[in-house]
Amino acid sequence: MKKTVDVSIPIGPVHPCFKEPARVKCETRGEYVLSAECELGYMKKGIELIMRGRPWQEVMFLAERICGICSVIHNMVFIEALEKISDIPVPERGALLRVIVNELDRIQSHILANFSYCYTIEHETLGMYLLDIRESAMDELERITGARVTCAYIVPGGVRFDLRDEDAVHLRASLDIIERDMKRYIRMFEGGPLIALRSKDVGVLTKESAKEAHAVGPTARASGMPETDMRLHHPTYQKLNFKPVFRTEGDNFARIMVRFEEIMQSIDLIRRCLDMLRPGPIRGGGIPSAGETVYRGEAPRGELSYYLKTDDAGRIVDISVQTPSIMNIEACTHYMLKGVASLADVPSTFISADPCIACTER
Amino acid sequence: MSILQSFKNLVRSRSIHVAYVDVGSCNGCDIEVLACLAPRYDIEQYGIYVHNNPREADILLVIGAYTPGWEDKLQGLWEKIPDPKVAIAIGNCPISGCVFNRPHSYVNPPVSKHIPIAAQVPGCPPRPTEILQAVLSLAPEVFKDYERRKR
Repeated sequence: MKKTVDVSIPIGPVHPCFKEPARVKCETRGEYVLSAECELGYMKKGIELIMRGRPWQEVMFLAERICGICSVIHNMVFIEALEKISDIPVPERGALLRVIVNELDRIQSHILANFSYCYTIEHETLGMYLLDIRESAMDELERITGARVTCAYIVPGGVRFDLRDEDAVHLRASLDIIERDMKRYIRMFEGGPLIALRSKDVGVLTKESAKEAHAVGPTARASGMPETDMRLHHPTYQKLNFKPVFRTEGDNFARIMVRFEEIMQSIDLIRRCLDMLRPGPIRGGGIPSAGETVYRGEAPRGELSYYLKTDDAGRIVDISVQTPSIMNIEACTHYMLKGVASLADVPSTFISADPCIACTER
Repeated sequence: MSILQSFKNLVRSRSIHVAYVDVGSCNGCDIEVLACLAPRYDIEQYGIYVHNNPREADILLVIGAYTPGWEDKLQGLWEKIPDPKVAIAIGNCPISGCVFNRPHSYVNPPVSKHIPIAAQVPGCPPRPTEILQAVLSLAPEVFKDYERRKR
């Protein structure tokens, strides 16, 4: 059959549903989307060019400003790459505190992604409930690290501040509140008939196409690929017996549900970390040295990898960052959006892949 | 002051539409603007409606350090907003470029070179309460007696 295109509809860069500027061009026949394309380039700042030739003390702060939503994991992966180059040991308490902060960051990022989805399908009530519970996670981040967004908590050889006993008590209480409320919201999302109409069987990404597109993170795990979770290769997570969650449907509903289940799993991980915490040093010594490495970590959106090359003085000679969103945007525009029945589902499908444009373009 | 003018003042003080545009930030200020929507800060109780549509906006929140991708587009966006309008710079990036204003980067701050900025909220990122306070303290000053001052 000859492909006939009625009209080409651009969505963005400034759109009520998009948090960040990106342009999705959809070629449609009637309401049926034949193909879609994502146009980027509104946010290119050239962070990697700024990073080259600077000492690690400065690059550390630049690295967490690659992305404001998942700043902790950028900080963590950069510092752990530096530690891998220079063989800096991390005390056990420091490693567990890193996991606690990282999982808190994952909770708030996943809640924000699910809020955006609920807001896009016009279920504002659930969106506001989620945004309200997100503030509890942000409070705990601020209590532990001292800042809401860009906290620079992880430093070579450990972490910056210790977790006080009263903070641990407060953290457990907040986790109980988050868990109690999230259970209710998950029931709301699972049982809502209108949500199911807007989400189930919309924007399906099969396992084969997810592999072809190299999808990562919750997007890949919703299509039945649990092995994409990079936390499986992290020593601290291996000690915690981490098992990734996954679903096999691959539609919008599955992607949101995977995020909800990961929030519950993160709460569980933080609790186990708190149980394992023993008094001890939080920061060992060590001097960054020359070397070259590639290091991977699991950001809230998927696999994040840093290529890093340093010299003797601890300056960054070369750095290259690969963020998860670029893979998911490709998977979204080329596989999910193809064959979406209605143009109204295009923004919600795009948001369900949780694209982070600031990460993607840097 | 005419009755119509006082009526407009009353309406405008309780109905402010906000659009935000990200011209190259790290996303941190973006989500702090979104966090203003949360029931804890509840921006809508003051009659401020955050809807990202420039055609019906009164206040434009500019976030980010102005990348080349926005070269003519930000100007065009500013012209699409109906009068009376005002732009607020959120975060350090539109004010000075923050960490991105370094050799070899592509950014071209400050944003006030490109569109008129009425107020600036510094911080990396500012807290939601600070953003809320800036919008609330600026809006009555700008929109009060707009038609009379224009004449």
